[in-house]
Amino acid sequence: MLQITNLHVRLKDGREILKGIDLTVAAGEVHAIMGPNGSGKSTLAAVLAGRDGYEITEGSVTYQGRDLLAMPADERAREGVFLAFQYPVEIPGVNNMYFLRAALNAGRRHRGEPELDAGQFLRAVRGKLKLLEISEDLMQRAVNVGFSGGEKKRNEIFQMAMLEPRLAILDETDSGLDIDALRLVARGVNELRAPDRAIVLITHYQRLLDYVEPDRVHVLQGGRIVESGDKSLAAELERRGYGAADAA
Amino acid sequence: MSAVVDFPVKPEARPYLEAFAESASEPDWLARFRKQGLDRFARQGFPSRRSENWRYLDLQPLEKQPLLPATAGPFAAAPELELTSAWVRLFIVDGTCRSAVFRDLPEGIWIGSMERAIRERPDLVRSAATSDNSAERPFAALNAALFADGFVLDFGPGVVLDRPIEIAHLASNPGASHTRSLINLGAGSRATVIENYTGAGRAGRYWRNDVASWRIGDGASLTRIALIEESADAVHLGEVTATLGTGAKLDAFALLLGGGTVRHEASVTLAGDHAQCRYDGAFVVSGREEANIVTNIDHAAVGGTTSELIKGVAAGSGHGAFQGKIIVREGAQRTDAKQTSRNLILGRRASIDTKPELEILADDVKCAHGASVGDLDEAALFYLRARGIPTDEAHRLLVEGFLREPVEGVADAAIRDHLLGRLSARLARLEQWT
Repeated sequence: MLQITNLHVRLKDGREILKGIDLTVAAGEVHAIMGPNGSGKSTLAAVLAGRDGYEITEGSVTYQGRDLLAMPADERAREGVFLAFQYPVEIPGVNNMYFLRAALNAGRRHRGEPELDAGQFLRAVRGKLKLLEISEDLMQRAVNVGFSGGEKKRNEIFQMAMLEPRLAILDETDSGLDIDALRLVARGVNELRAPDRAIVLITHYQRLLDYVEPDRVHVLQGGRIVESGDKSLAAELERRGYGAADAA
Repeated sequence: MSAVVDFPVKPEARPYLEAFAESASEPDWLARFRKQGLDRFARQGFPSRRSENWRYLDLQPLEKQPLLPATAGPFAAAPELELTSAWVRLFIVDGTCRSAVFRDLPEGIWIGSMERAIRERPDLVRSAATSDNSAERPFAALNAALFADGFVLDFGPGVVLDRPIEIAHLASNPGASHTRSLINLGAGSRATVIENYTGAGRAGRYWRNDVASWRIGDGASLTRIALIEESADAVHLGEVTATLGTGAKLDAFALLLGGGTVRHEASVTLAGDHAQCRYDGAFVVSGREEANIVTNIDHAAVGGTTSELIKGVAAGSGHGAFQGKIIVREGAQRTDAKQTSRNLILGRRASIDTKPELEILADDVKCAHGASVGDLDEAALFYLRARGIPTDEAHRLLVEGFLREPVEGVADAAIRDHLLGRLSARLARLEQWT
């Protein structure tokens, strides 16, 4: 599904953030990428999603056999890459439902499927809203405007559920959530687990992994993956902290 | 027959003087009114860019090649708005009222062409005409001299019509159309008027000079929407003068979506205590279009409120401007006025000027104003693209989202949906996004 090889990334100001990442995620797997603040986790997510402002100096990223880095951000999304934002953006004046239908239909057009009309779309929306316990009137507001922190995060997972990506990257979706919201987010993620789908969870804490069981856990530190293991690594990190991983 | 005058005439005014023809069939007061207007225009000529109210508009196209009143030619049918309510409609084609449709009008409403009103309601028209203070308004003066027709709407006290009255102005031939209209609302009455201004494909180069006067009586309420979608070569100059009585309410919105040179000016006087004025507007320019919104809100009495939200988008080599002046007179205590101007510039060759101005002579008032000019929010753009929305569509969504806010202030759902539809159609043919 996703193969990252020796990826080096620097910012426009020249600072090198990622210093040779190697990571392979197969279809059906859930990988957790953990690490302290400033280790490059969010940069990795942004580079995979196609945000501007980063320079790839070395390495490659292959997604479903194609060069992911050669695709513009919107094409990546239509090809099935989804990024749940750490800080979802507020967009005044753009209605949530309208926005989501535009996104869904852009993907459908891309795949040669017929677009959903307003009625079909609404039926699809209602089922997923229920799953994430999001009220319908939230959908009639402008994108993320006036949403609480928890509502914004749930809205990200709701969008993910609607768009049914092949590769979902969740950038610290668990941060700032209370335990109820965390459970809902986990429910949304678990619901999406499928043999033809890969999920990358980027997180600072082990908390989310109590609810979403990863197949692999990686520790990102100083722009490199310094340690990988199975789910028990997360619990171990929680015990000993990232400082010890550095030494390992 | 051309007018003979014995004072210096501005050169750009001369062709218009020569085109002026007295009509023997008009009443004396109207003939005098026309002559006074012509004299004023002849002395003043076109406003220069040094004139504060006109500094952002380039009138060169009109000065270099005068546009005289359109000679009658074949005219096209006015396009219908998609308003489903059984409306009241007037068609004004090339400045002349051609047809009218009225369905189930309640008692106490007089509506008809200006030409008919001059015959049937001379006192009403005359009182509005003589109070016309166009000393500093050369195009209103020229309009007084040359207007052919327009409309008059008169509501008796307490008359309420919830259905919108639709006035369709259509240009179907080259030349100038000088139209004049009057809305007179008796105490406690209520009306909603939507005027749309369009040009038929073959109209070519035309000039619309539209002058309106609104008198909103005590406790009366006027909602007025202007939708301006002129042809690419058109010059549209519109001037409104409104007076609000005690507790009167004006709710106005102007949407400027097309025309080579478009100017919408409103001068509102809150003459009675506790009057309320909302004046919102939006413009979109691209290509080499120019659009100006100019408002002068004059608080002359106690406890009045004003709220203005003007949003502008400029793309291509388009130029837009907003000039908004709010005056709070000495006695106008407890005035509450707020004015907001927000603008988006798409592309390096587009430009927007914004000039808010407050003149406060009373001491117990609340006034706020803010203005901004910027470009599209990169974070929002990436968010939309990260959901698969193609870049062009993402741009359009953001621009539309930006402009929706003032449109959503329109209370009538059918009109609002119509305006949003026209806005989407306009943005779909914005030739340059960044």
